[in-house]
Amino acid sequence: MNPVERANQDAPTDRLLAFIEFLRGRDILISPADSLVAMEVAGLVGYSDRTLLKSGLGSALAKSKFEVTVFNEAFEQYFGAPKTDTTSDSSAPSQPTEQEANKLSPQELGEQLSQAIQAQPELAANLSSELVDALKSGDEAAIAIAVETAAQQVDVSAIKLLTQRGQYIRKMLDALGEQALRDAAVELESTEPAAFEAVQALREQLRNKVRDRVDRAYMVHASGDAEDMLDDALSNMSLGNVDQHHRARLKRLLERMTRKLAARHGRIRKRVKRGQLAIAPTLRKAMATDGVPFQPRWRKSIRRKPQILILCDVSGSVAAYAKFLLLFLHSLQDVLPRTRSFAFSSNLGEVTETLRALPVEVAIERVNLKYGGATDYARAFEDFARLAMSDINRVTTVIILGDARNNNTDPRLDLLAQIRSKCRQLIWLNPESQRSWGTGDSEMQGVIRNCDTAAECSTLKQLERVVDNLLVELNS
Amino acid sequence: MSNSLEKLNSVDNIVEALATAGYICNEQIATVVYLAAALGKPVLVEGPPGVGKTELAKSCAEVTGAPLVRLQCYEGLDESKAIYEWKYGKQLLYTQLLKTQLAEVMDGAQGLRESVERLHSFDDVFFSKEFLEPRPLLQAIDSEQSVVLLVDEIDKADFEFESLLLEVLSDFQVSIPELGTLKGRSKPLVFLTSNDTRDLSDALKRRCLHLHIDFPTTQLEGRIVRARVPQITQAMTDHLVEFVSRVREMDLKKLPSVSETIDWAKSLVLLHADSLDEDLVRSSLNALLKYEDDLTSVVNNLAGLLSQEQKVTDA
Repeated sequence: MNPVERANQDAPTDRLLAFIEFLRGRDILISPADSLVAMEVAGLVGYSDRTLLKSGLGSALAKSKFEVTVFNEAFEQYFGAPKTDTTSDSSAPSQPTEQEANKLSPQELGEQLSQAIQAQPELAANLSSELVDALKSGDEAAIAIAVETAAQQVDVSAIKLLTQRGQYIRKMLDALGEQALRDAAVELESTEPAAFEAVQALREQLRNKVRDRVDRAYMVHASGDAEDMLDDALSNMSLGNVDQHHRARLKRLLERMTRKLAARHGRIRKRVKRGQLAIAPTLRKAMATDGVPFQPRWRKSIRRKPQILILCDVSGSVAAYAKFLLLFLHSLQDVLPRTRSFAFSSNLGEVTETLRALPVEVAIERVNLKYGGATDYARAFEDFARLAMSDINRVTTVIILGDARNNNTDPRLDLLAQIRSKCRQLIWLNPESQRSWGTGDSEMQGVIRNCDTAAECSTLKQLERVVDNLLVELNS
Repeated sequence: MSNSLEKLNSVDNIVEALATAGYICNEQIATVVYLAAALGKPVLVEGPPGVGKTELAKSCAEVTGAPLVRLQCYEGLDESKAIYEWKYGKQLLYTQLLKTQLAEVMDGAQGLRESVERLHSFDDVFFSKEFLEPRPLLQAIDSEQSVVLLVDEIDKADFEFESLLLEVLSDFQVSIPELGTLKGRSKPLVFLTSNDTRDLSDALKRRCLHLHIDFPTTQLEGRIVRARVPQITQAMTDHLVEFVSRVREMDLKKLPSVSETIDWAKSLVLLHADSLDEDLVRSSLNALLKYEDDLTSVVNNLAGLLSQEQKVTDA
């Protein structure tokens, strides 16, 4: 148990609140009502049994499989790794081992220091503060209180960036009066090597405590902010420019967006106007009209099943965007169960099954291999017409993702017009910025004339907006 | 909270009590059940099919002796089937039967205004509790004694239905436009189960404690099999559970669940088997696996799955 934990044992409630704050920084949404439940739970199961506390809090705070994983990880991180022995004496953590490494027991330390004071009496003031006594005797509680006081003095909770760590550690050490120890160490270094070792050991010990405190402050107060900042930047960054290092984070972000969208739009149902009469609801409705069944109700209500066909250009320039669009729409299986995907560059093929069977990352790789190459829209439209034209009807939405650059050959926009005339709506997504539409070999001007909506989709934010609008439209 | 739920007063008691009902559970499950009883909050149980989500509710009802009220969800389930319904037939019948009484009430009334005023001076008899047909949710909160309410497969119900549940689950009351708010007479212990086929709304999630039941460890599963199929030998159970856990590591359409393990164990007992050999497994495997593709891929690997197992048990 580190000193901060010890100090906080007086106020487990604060500690729990800080933990909740910590979880919020990790994308788990926790409302004040949830916090209240967590408090009640903690009150019931108590803080003594770790596994009990963990499953109790988990049941109140983690609300999905995804959140359970995050919660378990955060719990281990925050409340320390499981210890075989939970009594506080034997679990006093890392410091004893360091002291063992230095082979100095509290008594030895004390002796060394008093010898040093005898040898150089002018250092007595430096080496006999309350803090030094506490460090010497290993009085964890006293140290913790001192560290906590210093933390409040320098307002360590204002920490925002990881790079501020060193600065805050220094500030706290100064507030603790570590300067005196440092001076003593400098004095003793040449004259009393043994006592120097002892003082250094004390300093090391203090430094560790302070560093732990600052790290925790960073984890609780700042990492959430910093993550939010990064998330925000990422969702506004062009998807093609996001480097490998941030891909994983981007994927997480995307998953979060999908969850949000799926929850917002739910399932799509509609009452039908034929079939078997539902007597009870009809009569209930008829009460308002004096028993005259004015508005008949029917047994069945159908789920409207919008169908989406996605055509993705997977040639080099657009592949990165295609990946995210496919990822997005396929994670919306719940809301859009009948999504079919096609990939093309020179020729076109259906990739729905590949995407369904394999994890998206792998699937996209494979699709790229199979269909990658120079883009030929004419060929792609022909293939598509052959494969799926007969399946397009009034509930079908066709989404095409591509830069509409056809290397100065005829893109067969007549086929595009034909597709549009058969489907409910045709959406063209272009990762290029609107300013460059129609420049060079871009056929975008012709494309805009032949589709219902044309939108730019280079960032995650734009992608989210497109999908959101799509779902609203499908729901209406 | 009424007496029947008192047995759920500590985690250890719950583990023990559930075990006597034949439901072997880990501490996590017991903790959540304990919290649910203590805080009066519903439990949302999630997990793959066949890990004992519904069984948990049934066993809790058995242990506490509380009646089990079950609401099976499906697409199109609405309030008239889940919460309450007016007995419209009875209402119509009564208006016909009471015609003469109505005539008496109206006797001598001058004009429309007076007639309506006279009618108003009587209670709204046709919209009273006598004409209310309680459905599972109303039954559950309106019972004298605490009951165990099981809302099964909530993910199958429509999105709108979740909103209907909210009032019942958080305040244990039902608002009926014609009657006002009916406060429940007892707090039920509520279990909602979900197979994760879709995300539930945040509002519903917020009102529940969460319990995720996954496939049990081989040890726990062994104990479950022994509890459910007492005739089976210990050695056989170990074999069986080990085999099933290996099968779960394979890439199958549907992984065998606990209930299927139990079914398989039962069928093996019926076949008087005392050890797992290839022929026996091949002939009885359809108790464990439900897809043709899965069956073939397991049968093809049968030698490997079994021989590995021998090695482990020999060692």
